[in-house]
Amino acid sequence: MLFNSYTFIVFFIIVLILHNLPFSWKTKKINLLFASYIFYAAWNPPFILLLWLSTIVDFFVGKALYTQENKHKKKLLLVISLIGNLGMLCFFKYGGFVLENFTYLVNAFGFNYHPAKPNIILPAGISFYTFTTLCYTIDMYKKESKPVESFLNFSLFVTFFPHLVAGPIVRPPQLVPQFESPRNASAEQLFQGLFLLTLGLFMKVFLADGMLSGPANTVFGATDPLQSLDAWMGVLAFSGQIFFDFAGYSLCAIGAALCLGFVLPNNFLYPYAAIGFTDFWRRWHITLSSWLRDYLYIPLGGNRAGKFRTYINLMITMLLGGLWHGANWTFVVWGALHGFYLWVEKAYRDMKKVKSSTVFPSEKGKPEGYFPPEKNHQKNLTNFTLALGTFLLVNVTWVFFRSSTFTSAWRILHSMFINNAKNAPLLKTMDIYKVAIIIPLLIITHWMMRNTKALSVAGKTPWWLLGVSWSAMIVLIMLSQNASSAFIYFQF
Amino acid sequence: MQPTNLRRAGLFALLLSFIVILSWEIHLRNQGNEISYDDNEAMWANKRAMVYEPSDKAVVFIGSSRMKFDLDIPTWESITGKHAIQLANVGSDPVPYLMDLADDKNFKGKIICGVTEELFFSDFSPADVANDKKINYFKKITPTQRFSFLVNKFLESHLVFLDQERYSINAMLDELPIPLRHGVYRDLVFPDDFGKVNFDRQSYMTRKFVADTSLQNMVKNNWIRLGKEMIGPPPSPGKLDSFMHTIKLATDKIKARGGEVLFVRNPSSGPMLDGEQHGFPRAQYFDKLLTVTGCPGIFYSDYPGLSNFVCPEWSHLKPTDAVIYTRELIKVLEKDKGWAFNK
Repeated sequence: MLFNSYTFIVFFIIVLILHNLPFSWKTKKINLLFASYIFYAAWNPPFILLLWLSTIVDFFVGKALYTQENKHKKKLLLVISLIGNLGMLCFFKYGGFVLENFTYLVNAFGFNYHPAKPNIILPAGISFYTFTTLCYTIDMYKKESKPVESFLNFSLFVTFFPHLVAGPIVRPPQLVPQFESPRNASAEQLFQGLFLLTLGLFMKVFLADGMLSGPANTVFGATDPLQSLDAWMGVLAFSGQIFFDFAGYSLCAIGAALCLGFVLPNNFLYPYAAIGFTDFWRRWHITLSSWLRDYLYIPLGGNRAGKFRTYINLMITMLLGGLWHGANWTFVVWGALHGFYLWVEKAYRDMKKVKSSTVFPSEKGKPEGYFPPEKNHQKNLTNFTLALGTFLLVNVTWVFFRSSTFTSAWRILHSMFINNAKNAPLLKTMDIYKVAIIIPLLIITHWMMRNTKALSVAGKTPWWLLGVSWSAMIVLIMLSQNASSAFIYFQF
Repeated sequence: MQPTNLRRAGLFALLLSFIVILSWEIHLRNQGNEISYDDNEAMWANKRAMVYEPSDKAVVFIGSSRMKFDLDIPTWESITGKHAIQLANVGSDPVPYLMDLADDKNFKGKIICGVTEELFFSDFSPADVANDKKINYFKKITPTQRFSFLVNKFLESHLVFLDQERYSINAMLDELPIPLRHGVYRDLVFPDDFGKVNFDRQSYMTRKFVADTSLQNMVKNNWIRLGKEMIGPPPSPGKLDSFMHTIKLATDKIKARGGEVLFVRNPSSGPMLDGEQHGFPRAQYFDKLLTVTGCPGIFYSDYPGLSNFVCPEWSHLKPTDAVIYTRELIKVLEKDKGWAFNK
């Protein structure tokens, strides 16, 4: 089910009513679990079996991992969990990709091998809930937190509909304790949640789908070389679209959970105001980067095994992070570019002996608060210029992220940096206006807000002004009239 | 913030939004605008799901915009007692839909397929991407999309402003008089009153359009531009033969299951008709299609009752003519083609 659909509005109203009726806490949790399954099944009912399988296996394996003292048996259990979770992810997400590359390779060696293209449908959100369950079993293996006693609480932790399909990726200690005692949103929390839900939908429906997807799709769908203006406008449009789309989803998720009295971790903190790439990854998809830090970078050795290994670990983490986004080499290059940027930044910081020199500090911890973005930068022109430079370099990476082939990516990059006035202009004036107005406003807003949060700013705004802004968002959502289009991150 | 402030802001926002939307709705109604449905993939998929009705209870219509304008569904249904399932699409080649129905083993019904030569026989079909999108949407429709469609239908039935093609932000921004960059393709702009759509997916011109020759000229100019800029030469003989063979395979599949396909050439007028006759002579195209496929067909000019219409913008019938045309078409189907209707 999409947040930006009429079905969700009806669904959410029913869930809110049920959650506020005088039922026992257990009944309310069963209601939420049942609602979460409906939320998921409304997309493709058979895939709910995978969710059940993942929940059941990880609940029992997790418990066994925690209590098992025999090291060999413990490792065997961990392997079962990893094979179960990653195997499912690999089959559905990377099956076709692996086969395609294997075919390419054997044909390159002279074998005439052309298997039928597998028709595998990717279950929505599999990358997200796999990471959610995986962190639980790994934590159990390391005894980093206690096993969840109640199967109901564990099922709800895995399935809770606001985070189920596209995050934020939650850890057991963040959410499970919230299921242990009765929770209902206060009136204030309800309105905060509704405000975040509106803001998220405004970002998705009006800004991402309504204003920016058009120019981005036109430019990335072009088959001929472009003028530089078109190429830049298309790439900038996609930078805005991907942010508004995904951050919008996260805000909807956080807002929906808050309306029910639950708190989910922040996933975005104004990433286009980041000064450098360390800062960027502490602001962009925070719950993923902290997951990668805790369950990939640190187990690889983090920054504890010398400088050379730190660089290697950093690159491996970014490459796999890229591959997590999609089964295509363009995503790997996207990750590699970010890894390269981080290398350069780390080398510079090491040289200058600047503290906090890695995007992935070795200490394991909670995503929010413990993993803070860099707030100590003053808001001056130099730092703004650095933020702008970071943003421009991020744009280059988005070219690989959005392009379906390297040919398309190179064509756009070439057009961005080498103008050829003979190429036919592509974008309409109105599309250029949209990008030229929205993207600078986006950057300025991120810069102004980089050390604060939307609800804090809302709190300081006079009620009538907040009401007018809120209303403007509602009206623009309604007037956008976009058919419910899926969030970009659903495909990951 | 005081606890009451956010609540106050939220309630104020709700009230303000209600006032703004209500004012906008009243304004549009006062300007004489009517309810028109978004003819999108959800709407098409809703109709596509109906094709499994028994063939004595329903007929499926595929084709281009002429089928949507020229068939008056209430007239058809009241006279024939059969449900008209409108699957035709504007600017579209109906062949993908014919293939889709041919490949659907559960479909055993009757099809009336509109033939607009420049769309049917040539490579030109501006709505190809939309065709694929509609078929894929139907094949992959989710429970949530079905439910959202029902809610949307209820809202669109009551609110004029819910008309994506005309009153969405993007549609309104596109109407601003902003000059295009030199060399950028200028989209065809059709007047709002040209193609309203009802819930049966029937398109119709408003009375204003029928009365206003300047609006009709706008559309005529679009056809001239399309003819000059987009429609390529007719297919080569080899390509045409291969195309005809593909259509035959599709119609054979449908007939083998007990279904039926009938091709119809709906009226056109003026320079549009001249161009069509010149570019796609009947003997080499429409008649050959019937010969190759072995399917029955109706060419409007063969029947006096179907041939005395003038299309206001050369290509489609006005609503009052669509009623008469539909009545006459039913007569031809009964008398000449042997179709029986359970009236």
